[in-house]
Amino acid sequence: MPDPQLAGRFAVAGVGTTTYGRLPDHDPYDLGLWALKEAVADCGLAMSDIDGVILNRIPDYQRFCELAGLDPAYTTITPGHGRFSGICIETAVAILAAGMAKTVALVYGNNGRSAGDQYGGATDIYGSGGPGLWFPYGMTSPGAFHALMAQRHMHQYGTTSDQFGQVAMAFRDHAALNPGAVMRDRFTLAQYHASRYVCAPLHLLDYCLINDGGVAMILTSAERARDLAQPPVYVRGFGQASRFSGSTFPPDDYWAAPMRAVAAQAHGMAGTRADDMDALMIYDNFTPTVMFCLEGFGFCGVGESGAFVEGGRLGLGGQYPTNTSGGHLSESYMQGWGLNVEAVRQVRGECGARQVADAALVQYMTAAPVITSIVYGREAR
Amino acid sequence: MSGFPLPRIDGANAPYWEGARAGRLMLQRCLDCGTHRFPASRYCAHCHGDRSAWVQTSGEGVVESFCTFHKPYWPGTEGAVPYDVVQVRLKEGVQLFSNLVGVAQGAVRIGMPVVVQFEAATPEVTLVKFREAT
Repeated sequence: MPDPQLAGRFAVAGVGTTTYGRLPDHDPYDLGLWALKEAVADCGLAMSDIDGVILNRIPDYQRFCELAGLDPAYTTITPGHGRFSGICIETAVAILAAGMAKTVALVYGNNGRSAGDQYGGATDIYGSGGPGLWFPYGMTSPGAFHALMAQRHMHQYGTTSDQFGQVAMAFRDHAALNPGAVMRDRFTLAQYHASRYVCAPLHLLDYCLINDGGVAMILTSAERARDLAQPPVYVRGFGQASRFSGSTFPPDDYWAAPMRAVAAQAHGMAGTRADDMDALMIYDNFTPTVMFCLEGFGFCGVGESGAFVEGGRLGLGGQYPTNTSGGHLSESYMQGWGLNVEAVRQVRGECGARQVADAALVQYMTAAPVITSIVYGREAR
Repeated sequence: MSGFPLPRIDGANAPYWEGARAGRLMLQRCLDCGTHRFPASRYCAHCHGDRSAWVQTSGEGVVESFCTFHKPYWPGTEGAVPYDVVQVRLKEGVQLFSNLVGVAQGAVRIGMPVVVQFEAATPEVTLVKFREAT
């Protein structure tokens, strides 16, 4: 478990986002720098105050820092996999705690829409079995991987397509209240079922978007954050675990065991429990992942997520308002970064029509071969 | 299902594809701990030993899950959709993605016992598919 002494000692001081959608005139460097400028302005710092840089999905750290005019004391770069947003935020805290930097900028730029990114077919290397190994059988894409998991969950626990549809609908309802979301038109369960299958049992509306955009976050010490322009949003707890063994294939337990470990770390550090959370931000690459997280992170029992998401439980006014921005399914595919920013904005209380009343604790979590979670708090302890 | 890319049959996995062409399901087996594995790797992920041999296996397994592709991901596969992909666990513990032969679409079920069914794609390449075990 991360050192509980670190709970609340560091905070998100600034966040920045670009507009989302189709931005063909911007490359990933432009998108990242746009977001970083917004984040710097948000917290009232100057670009020159940044002495730590963690990049994600941006192709080259040297070029980015050259373009940004940055000469940080600490620099690193990570691959454009969604699971890395949580990893980067945890790394930022570690770097701050180690005294290697005082103000860390996390910068993400994604021009996947304009670049024509494909998640399946010739360029697909999802999983680790080696590119192309299963192509002769027509197996490809992260979506198919999750379709296999969804199918097995339906078989084991009686989960239904309607229930996956409830997740998609809840997030779209949230996006309808988010002026920055890419997809804002509400749909009915009948329209969900009428949306074409990409890889059954998953419909198009079970899949995240592919769009352009950038996100940046600035983390610093709690003391310093209190002197800046925005109320600090404290990193109260976090955790990480992995399940790489056998990860070419879906995990038998839908990652429940490593999720339980991560939940114990994050809540143990934060001094919280799952049912203390006022809102949830769950990495929604596909709707089933949301259900697996609800089970693994202890919001409901194993196999019970299908019934759990019914009755508006994930909606505004429900027990656990989830992905209040619309998430990857409807707001923007910013690979976890947008959800972490939404957590910060909820805790600050600046979400307008989609604001969760009195959101003091918000938990981000992701399900993948690397599992991370971060508990954000309005109070340091 | 023409249009799907065929495997390269040279390289570390060559014994797998040569075996398939000869009607044998071959897997790499660690000579130190006995764990089977595929695709080929230098070291055993279980015990990290580097001694291994390709061995013939039972060809028996069970369907762990399946999905149905409606989107064609490769040019020339538009006529192949919808098609099923199955996730099979072999008796030896190794998992494979594959297709079923002789099972109508919609008839595949999780837990179905299956046995290997080799299917020649070209004179050089034979694919490792499965049929329902009787």
